[in-house]
Amino acid sequence: MVNGKCRVLVNILMILIGLSFLFPMYWMLNISFKSKSEVYDNPFGLPRQWVFNNYRDALEKFNFPRYLSNSIIYSAGTIVLTVFLGSMLAYCISRMNWKGKGFVLSYISMGLIIPVQVVIIPLLIMTRSFGLKGTRMSLILPYSAFALSSCVLMLYAFFRSLPKELEEAACIDGCNIYQAYFRIVLPVIKPAITTQCVLIFMNTYNEFFLAFILGAEDKIRPLTVGLLNFFVSIGVSHWGQIGAAMIITSLPTIIVYAVGNEQIENALTARVALK
Amino acid sequence: MGKAHIGMLTDKVITMNKFFGNKPAIFIFAFPSLLLFTVFVVYPIFPEILISFQKNDGFKSMGYVGFKNYADVLQDKTFWRANLNTFIIVFFSTFIALPISLLFALVMDRLSDPMKRFFKFSSVFPAVLSVTVIAQMWIAVYEPMWGLLNSILRALRLNNLALAWLSDSRTVVPAIAVAFLWQYLGLNALLFYTGIKAIPKTYYEAAMIDGAGFFKASIKITIPLLQDVTKYLLVLSILGCMSQFAHVRIMTGGGPGDISRTVVYQLYYVAFSTSDFGRGCAIAIIFVIECLILTFIINKFVAQERIEF
Repeated sequence: MVNGKCRVLVNILMILIGLSFLFPMYWMLNISFKSKSEVYDNPFGLPRQWVFNNYRDALEKFNFPRYLSNSIIYSAGTIVLTVFLGSMLAYCISRMNWKGKGFVLSYISMGLIIPVQVVIIPLLIMTRSFGLKGTRMSLILPYSAFALSSCVLMLYAFFRSLPKELEEAACIDGCNIYQAYFRIVLPVIKPAITTQCVLIFMNTYNEFFLAFILGAEDKIRPLTVGLLNFFVSIGVSHWGQIGAAMIITSLPTIIVYAVGNEQIENALTARVALK
Repeated sequence: MGKAHIGMLTDKVITMNKFFGNKPAIFIFAFPSLLLFTVFVVYPIFPEILISFQKNDGFKSMGYVGFKNYADVLQDKTFWRANLNTFIIVFFSTFIALPISLLFALVMDRLSDPMKRFFKFSSVFPAVLSVTVIAQMWIAVYEPMWGLLNSILRALRLNNLALAWLSDSRTVVPAIAVAFLWQYLGLNALLFYTGIKAIPKTYYEAAMIDGAGFFKASIKITIPLLQDVTKYLLVLSILGCMSQFAHVRIMTGGGPGDISRTVVYQLYYVAFSTSDFGRGCAIAIIFVIECLILTFIINKFVAQERIEF
């Protein structure tokens, strides 16, 4: 890439490839303003006649506020549970003196290689026998359990890099271990916690499989599954409304990504950067 | 004075040992997560093994049937077809998608900062969208009449290549694989790129003096030094492909017929559509063994030595 011509060529190519990742979403936006028939004879050009009703109709048939609030409840619940419990376990393994912490570390790492799909059948039976079926907890608990492994391992690596003087000072000041942990240590690892929150949010908000099977009742469906049901109910005929529903569902994510893409990228790559 | 100092030090060590050896605190810190993890991740494997030897409709067991469920699964052509499909997706991911991501990352490293930002932003964008949106979008891309792919092919006067991608048994699995892998192409590139950034620049200086260009430096220096990241991404993407369900469910529902089912789709179908939980559990056990074997192989043969910079 020494000479200029080559450089320009590579830049143009990379811009085109970059745009190709954005194009489908732009296309859906475009389609969402078209009438049912215009999609077929003018799939790519700008709408000849702008149809805004698609959005109104999609929102009427598709209970967006309910699904969105479910998705947010699932993500928030999973984040709170996983980060609260996971950080405590990570701290306990990295700092406290007890036998078996090496074993616990490998035990919790097992979660990284067990895909959640494997245990779906017993999970369904368990949620029934625990009386959780049809409640939001039936998703939050397994989500948190499966999110724990990577949370604990990453925070463990982070805690190990902290100097022990932190707690020594706290100890001298008369703190007990709980105070030292919640008042001194936790605030120090805030960046790592933020990273965990972003990671867990991305995974939970977009999770499909568990939600599809355990969240079968409409009132507890998150967006991913609710949207699929809308697509199925509408058939493949009315792409204007399909496009509108896609844009509505993606809008929160797009806004969050547009504002915080650098933080999101950092969170997504934290695992590799940490090594 | 020296003695007093040592005394103080040992006092401090003893206090800190007490501080960190507080038994009730250890229990309170460790137990809740371990309980949650055990109940929802580890424990379910046991009832699963039991059910795989039962005739079970999901509500009650109708007695043990030995290895019958396993024999049924292994004699089922659809199961083998689902395995083949799953491995086609794994193949696409390992030998096509990951190398493309690596190439993106290598080029990204040489781009100017604004270009880098733009490319990162746009290529990671699909990964933050929901699978339902992406999969539905790809239905539009593959739409036979006005879809993006066929429109491009027709514009290039390749009319006979414009197929009904998702209802043609020859193209449906690769078509799903492309849609699925496309979503994470940019994210994987970003992960490779993060690995590249961690390589100290001094490694390249000697190569530059020798006049090594982009390709030579990449092949001789960057790619070998990236082996830890490569291994991590291999495991991640292979497990992701093995458990592929969402794109198949949304794009084809396993069709046409049962041609595009993956292993997890087959598991879902057998357990929830035919209410045969015994056979479903047998599939799940075979599936987890397959995943463990693949993970083991990668750990055994890729990047055995850790690289420290």
